[in-house]
Amino acid sequence: MERAEAGSYSKANSKKKRNYTRLLRNIIQGYGFMLPTILVLLVFILGPVLYAVFLSFFDVTLLGSTVLDYTGVDNYLRIMDDSRAKRALLNTALYVGIVVPVQTFLALFLASTLNAGLKGEKIFRIIYFLPTLTSSAVLTLIFMWMYNQNGLINNVLDKLNMPTYNWIGDPNIALYSIMIMNIWATAPLFMVIYLAALQGVPKNLYEAAELDGANVLQRFWHITVPQLRPITSFVVIMGLIGTFQLFDQSYIFSGGSGGPSNSTLTVVLLIYQYAFKSLGTMGYATAIAFMLALIILIASILQRVLSKEEQFN
Amino acid sequence: MKSKWWIISALLTFTLLASGCSGNDGTSGDGGSDGETEDGKTEVTLAGWSSSPEEEKLLQQQLDDFEEEHPDITVKHEVIADQYMDVLKTRLVGGEGPDVFYLDAVEAPALIETGVLEPLNSYVEDDFDAEDFEENLIDPFKDEEDEVYGFPKGYSTLGLFYNKEMLDEAGVEVPTNWEELEEAAKELTTEDTVGLGVSPEMARNQFIGESGSGDMVTEGEANFGSQEVIDALQPLVDLRNEDEAAAAPSEMGSESTGEMLGQGRAAMVMEGNWNVPYLNETFPDMEYGVAEVPTFDDTEATMAYTVSYVMNQASEQKEASWELISYLTGKEGMKTWTESGLELPARQSVAEELGYEEDEVRGPLVEGAEYATAWSDGPNLPTIYNNFDNEFLSAFLGEKSLEDALETGEEVANDEISD
Repeated sequence: MERAEAGSYSKANSKKKRNYTRLLRNIIQGYGFMLPTILVLLVFILGPVLYAVFLSFFDVTLLGSTVLDYTGVDNYLRIMDDSRAKRALLNTALYVGIVVPVQTFLALFLASTLNAGLKGEKIFRIIYFLPTLTSSAVLTLIFMWMYNQNGLINNVLDKLNMPTYNWIGDPNIALYSIMIMNIWATAPLFMVIYLAALQGVPKNLYEAAELDGANVLQRFWHITVPQLRPITSFVVIMGLIGTFQLFDQSYIFSGGSGGPSNSTLTVVLLIYQYAFKSLGTMGYATAIAFMLALIILIASILQRVLSKEEQFN
Repeated sequence: MKSKWWIISALLTFTLLASGCSGNDGTSGDGGSDGETEDGKTEVTLAGWSSSPEEEKLLQQQLDDFEEEHPDITVKHEVIADQYMDVLKTRLVGGEGPDVFYLDAVEAPALIETGVLEPLNSYVEDDFDAEDFEENLIDPFKDEEDEVYGFPKGYSTLGLFYNKEMLDEAGVEVPTNWEELEEAAKELTTEDTVGLGVSPEMARNQFIGESGSGDMVTEGEANFGSQEVIDALQPLVDLRNEDEAAAAPSEMGSESTGEMLGQGRAAMVMEGNWNVPYLNETFPDMEYGVAEVPTFDDTEATMAYTVSYVMNQASEQKEASWELISYLTGKEGMKTWTESGLELPARQSVAEELGYEEDEVRGPLVEGAEYATAWSDGPNLPTIYNNFDNEFLSAFLGEKSLEDALETGEEVANDEISD
């Protein structure tokens, strides 16, 4: 009896052991294969992110002899009374507040027109999508020519007897010029996503609604929009992230200064200026960057919570 | 079999880690090369920007001449195409800085303060003749102890460029003082043309702001909100907003005031030497004249922009680097560089030799070198001018009063500096 017990025990033990070695081997093998990716992620993404967070608590001098002075949360407190940071936040908020809803709605609208079974759909699909394929730098340059005081847009407006604007040089207009350009360029990308999702909306819903006497608009509001809610949520979050990070367009527009009169100064442009233009403000720049990441995170969570609540109602 | 894989993956990891760590040794600047080429020559790297093919050609000629004179040194020329200072600072931080590089006077004080530049006083010998340089051009490259960190390769000053035809038609004489300039600008303004094209930037207007008794920068802090500076700049703003005789390039759909002049959108502009080849090439049919910048109450003033050659403090080829700098900024090298008029010679002797003072176009620009305000004013100038430009533009466009704009700008700039 005892012997038998001992035997089964040692059997179980050796089985356990074998299991362990197998598990260990599996782990080693698995992580071994992932190692290159993990290393790349660590070195180029996670490492710099953590390092940036670390730097945001220091006064950093990189040029000459590298000096790190621990300053606690000073960099974060400094954001509170930096009027340029406030201006940048306001500009960015205004930009996000206008661009995200407009581009989301425009994308949905374009997608539904393309999904309605009209003639020449494919050609329009290509035409609509083209702006997204253009690099943002090239796009900005082309728009700057069109926005020129004597450029295409003002000429057309003039022909139509509408008021013309100094699109690039007027501090009250410049940010809106960038908004128009970006909506035009990004909406088609989200349009494609909507278009794909529209194929998945069951046809019988529309048929049922039609039998009940719903018109086109009612079908759009009561079937298409609710059915696409998860996609809308995705599009809005991607839009939020993208618009909060506006940089290249306003950089090219203003030649890196955020002008005229700080009107195109965005948070990321400000980060760039503090990090690379002025010496010794790298720590402050990383503090602003971390703040921006927090803001985007909060905005995304808020968006998710709100859209979930709606779903329950 | 399996154990072999182990060894291989372990080795791979090790090499990856090792290669990731080496070259991260921030302080060891090796100038981006091993310093010696295969045939035993010393290699010096020279970095700069290139504003035109002509500039590149001239520099290449200088370098060829230099290498001929110094057979034991080869020069590796690197052109940084865009965002020069960003690239350069990053390379210096990473210990991969070039041995010798261009440095604009406006950036010099901040860079000198960090200690990445090699002090040059101990290298200078009598036959280099450092006294020959125009003093206000070399001042931005000195620290408080008069140690020199760079020698100018050339400079440009602002002059009054005017459209001859327009002035003749309107019967207006070339203005010599600010009152005449204002009158002339009003006379010359028509439906499509403003009298004076203005770049509303501190780089172009500092000498106007300081034409009264005010200083735009005092002790490294912004002071452009002071009453003296506001009073001095007010006429320029009034010329646009009250007389409608001035405009900024962006209002007329131009890129620069030089383009405004070329396109006939402005009758007069204040532009620099770089504008001469530009106008000749792009607008060959336009006849323009150049005069000295009008005086303020008989005081002559203008701006001067200068770029120096400086040496990397971490360079391992300091002797050879100095040979290169002293050739490029020496009498012979500077003559090659400035002969075509691309830049003006920072050495008085070269200016005399080339006879620019008698030149109809460049004469007025050379005259300015003596009394010009060099575009450089302490380590915080980049922060100061950025804020000035932002606020001054709104005042110039008539959206704010000049007083409001400049006082806000000064406050923001000083907040940024004191932090």
